[in-house]
Amino acid sequence: MNMMSDTMSATACLLQMADEHFELEDYQSGVPRWCTGCGDNAILAAVQRLCRDEALRPEKTVFVSGIGCSSRFPHYMKTYGFHGIHGRALPVAEGVKMARPDLTVFVNTGDGDCTSIGAAHWIHAIRYNMNLTVFLHDNQIYGLTKKQASPTSPIGTRSNTTPRGSYLEALNPLTVTLGVQNVSFVAQAADWIPEVLFDIVKAAYHHKGLSFVRIIQRCPEWLPKALDPWMHDPNKVQLLHHDDGLQLSTGLSRVYKNQLEHDPMNIDRAREIASGHETIPVGILYRNPAVPCYEDLRYSDKLRTPDLTRAGLNAELDKYTVWPQEAKEKVA
Amino acid sequence: MEADTQAHVAFFLTGRRQSELLDAVDGLDLRPALFAGYRELSQLRYDYPVVLVAKPSDEHFVQSLSGLMDAALAAAARGSEAERIRKHAMRLEQEIRALVAAGASGSLSAIWDKAASRLAKGADKSMTDSLRRVRAAIKIDGELADCDAAMPARLLRHAWSEVQKQKAEAFRKDLDRLVLKLSDILKADFERSEAGRSAKHLKASVGSGYNDTFDFDAMSRLLAKSLPKDAFPEIRRKRIRELLAVLGAQQFYPSADATAKKGTAKPYTFFFDSCSDALAAFRERMPRLTELARAIAIAELEIDGQYSEAKHGALFEQFGANGLDPQDLAPFPDYLVCVNAGRLRADEHAQLMEILSSGLPIKVMLQIDDILEEASVGDGNLSSGTRSRQIANMAIGLNEVYVLQSASSNLFRFRERMLRGLTYGGPALFSVFTGASAEASGLPPYLMSAAAMESRAFPAFTYDPSAGTNWASRFYLEANSQVELDWPIQGFSYEDESHQRVSEDLAFTLVDFVASDHRYARHLARVPREKWNGSMIPVDESLTRERKGLPDKVPSVMMVDANNVLQKVIVDERLIREARRCREMWHSLQELGGVHNSHAEKLLARERKAWEERMQKEAEAHAAAPVSAAVASAERSTSATPVAASAPVEEEPQRSPDEAYIETPRCSTCNECTTINSKMFGYDGNKQAYIADINAGTYAQLVEAAESCQVSIIHPGKPRNPNEPGLEELLKRAEPFL
Repeated sequence: MNMMSDTMSATACLLQMADEHFELEDYQSGVPRWCTGCGDNAILAAVQRLCRDEALRPEKTVFVSGIGCSSRFPHYMKTYGFHGIHGRALPVAEGVKMARPDLTVFVNTGDGDCTSIGAAHWIHAIRYNMNLTVFLHDNQIYGLTKKQASPTSPIGTRSNTTPRGSYLEALNPLTVTLGVQNVSFVAQAADWIPEVLFDIVKAAYHHKGLSFVRIIQRCPEWLPKALDPWMHDPNKVQLLHHDDGLQLSTGLSRVYKNQLEHDPMNIDRAREIASGHETIPVGILYRNPAVPCYEDLRYSDKLRTPDLTRAGLNAELDKYTVWPQEAKEKVA
Repeated sequence: MEADTQAHVAFFLTGRRQSELLDAVDGLDLRPALFAGYRELSQLRYDYPVVLVAKPSDEHFVQSLSGLMDAALAAAARGSEAERIRKHAMRLEQEIRALVAAGASGSLSAIWDKAASRLAKGADKSMTDSLRRVRAAIKIDGELADCDAAMPARLLRHAWSEVQKQKAEAFRKDLDRLVLKLSDILKADFERSEAGRSAKHLKASVGSGYNDTFDFDAMSRLLAKSLPKDAFPEIRRKRIRELLAVLGAQQFYPSADATAKKGTAKPYTFFFDSCSDALAAFRERMPRLTELARAIAIAELEIDGQYSEAKHGALFEQFGANGLDPQDLAPFPDYLVCVNAGRLRADEHAQLMEILSSGLPIKVMLQIDDILEEASVGDGNLSSGTRSRQIANMAIGLNEVYVLQSASSNLFRFRERMLRGLTYGGPALFSVFTGASAEASGLPPYLMSAAAMESRAFPAFTYDPSAGTNWASRFYLEANSQVELDWPIQGFSYEDESHQRVSEDLAFTLVDFVASDHRYARHLARVPREKWNGSMIPVDESLTRERKGLPDKVPSVMMVDANNVLQKVIVDERLIREARRCREMWHSLQELGGVHNSHAEKLLARERKAWEERMQKEAEAHAAAPVSAAVASAERSTSATPVAASAPVEEEPQRSPDEAYIETPRCSTCNECTTINSKMFGYDGNKQAYIADINAGTYAQLVEAAESCQVSIIHPGKPRNPNEPGLEELLKRAEPFL
């Protein structure tokens, strides 16, 4: 339409002149209280790196969390944050996104927070597919309350609530998510492979829709040896790669030789891979950018002027008004 | 040479007609033979009249009556009654066409009703039923426009209004958003101020129902304690108020609720019938436009919380000093100027060229009613000068102008291109030939304009600078018929004296077009049937012949009289000269459109020659020494094989087991090592560990860090201090990590 559509107008340049350059430290707020060796540190580093690389403006970024070790995340980000209530990180984040679609919203939730008390919200958040980036910090244990089994604790996990070892097979957050209608992005990362963790965090951020990233992380305090078999044997980690997914660096390929080419558009294959037991798949399992976002479906370009708000409120409150007879007739 | 032929040649060369051998065509009411089928236009189905759709839902701002009728029939005429409904609908369409041609004007529904009531007289009920059903299937309405002198301007103005309406809506929406958000900033500022937290204001905000429930003074005292430390800068408050004032006072688009804002200035008008008026208005409004564009840009920054006095203040001070570029002008209304080439004075002409070369979003419609007027220099040439039909060609040379040239008969087909020109960010020229001058010769403008396009006298093309960077994507010539040929060829059949059907192909040339204009009768002479002979050849053939000395053949055109009797008319050299000029101009357009492009053909010829020479040489070499040549070529192909490029390998630094190091890219930021010694171990820009200072700690700490590292990426190397206590044990512990 424009004769010089490939160039930028002077005004557009002026508007962009305010763009700032950020360093990692600009996003760091306080010293994390997580234990030394905790996988949350790796996630924090990857997310801060993303914020810096994408130059996310702190005042336009929100981290929402529930309760648990992982949910302390917003405290360590110098952005807006909402440390919510147990299991309710997702509905809070959805509310933020609905009211302020211009904000970038991240959700940090733990395995207990998301897959136990917050399970219903989790399922529906996937179905609503709002443009959020959700990190499930899965250390397979309730850490903050000092070692109780969570839904993702492997069978036989000894904990304060399961002193003889847990009786049930662990819940698989990947297969659950992949089974929900409207799922649009599912990936799995491991905190001990920081390069892939960062790539996945980046891909999740760039996906339009709800990106669900399960990050398998160590708990050095309560389950120090639980992930040793996978950490010490790179062949037990299967890296997923594809032209439309992750591309693996030479250095990474040298260490992790168990690789699989997987098209992230193939949901049936994704479900198969997610259901495996022996190896941990790491990479993007599913991505479908065509699934509509709830906030777009419900978007209204009507300006919320004070008059409109007042009229809406009046109409709503009038439902509960007891009218004197003559006033009622007048209104009618 | 026979007397007849001599007379023909003499007429050809001098234009002097020997009356006993050749007839004057004046008063014979001749028209080109190919026009024979188009005597009664209202009996034919074609694109006109068109409906200027009143509330177009999409880009269909104009629809042809026949198109609408076909679509309605497809929906309404089904089953056993289909044929009956179709016939009735066709009769109605014909009736509407006749009414419009006779000068009826109004909306489709009004003229439909008029035509339907005429047909209903004396017809049975089935007619009314058919028409009702078809009418119900047509969901749109709008003014009907026939292909007359006024149509191009009406159509363009209608399309322009629709484009401006959409722009206005988008602009207003944006403006309302900015005003609301800016007001919100001021409102938030007030709520945080002392006045905003006063007991009186708090009381007012709670509402009358709970007036006695709260102690508003206490509430005010409490809230006043938490007043923000950073006061809202007065300069910002002032700036936002000024922005609101500028946004509120804009006159470029009418406000959505004009009655609500009394005292606001009247919106500007953007339609002009003079180039100089449009330019003057543009210049006069420029400061207001710049002010508004600047206010919008600052408002965006303010709303986003990004406006910084230090960064932006000085820059916005100079905003628009270098003029605004097309993207900045894009949200504002485009100007539309409609001028008639016949009335274009020299100074207006200069202003027109200034508009076209200015890059401003001004759209100009140049209406040309006559392309056959004599040139002002009086040399007998047609006026193919700058006043009318060459302006579009000249505008293309300006490179940044959207140019559309079309006969009005083709304008409906060019509707999307017309829209493209109107939405283009820079100037646009719509040069349209209406054929209105033909009415003096008794021909309908539609037929005349179609003939102008067909005869290459006024070819249709568009030049769209936004379509790409090269001519192939910018220039469009394909709307003309048989674009590869000099003149389009049409089949023509007639009945001869012995009632036999004769079919032949006739080229429709410029001469055919000119022959339909009575002003050029003196350049034509009818040859009586008994004098027809082999020396008369068609014009297109005559144009391809190279004449040396006295011509032995004379160009002629086939024409028909009022009774559709075929006549042959010879042409004088002046018209042939014009036809030749016209053909040359067409050739240049063809080249621009990539047809018979001389550069491409030259290149092709060169490559073909080179290829033939190479083939020749190879054949000779092959014949001389077949074996050695085969070997040589095999060698050549071997040597030409590129060495397979090795995949880039990331080089890792060679590490000695004695050296202490960390595989930094694999670090998972778990803080184990930094907790042991934060001076020895540090984090890099990506928060991944490396050995910051090997001398800042002991070998024991290095070994401890290696052991506690979650991902085993710390390699302690060999101790640097041979006197460190317990080295023997430490070396043993370090062993797995070397």
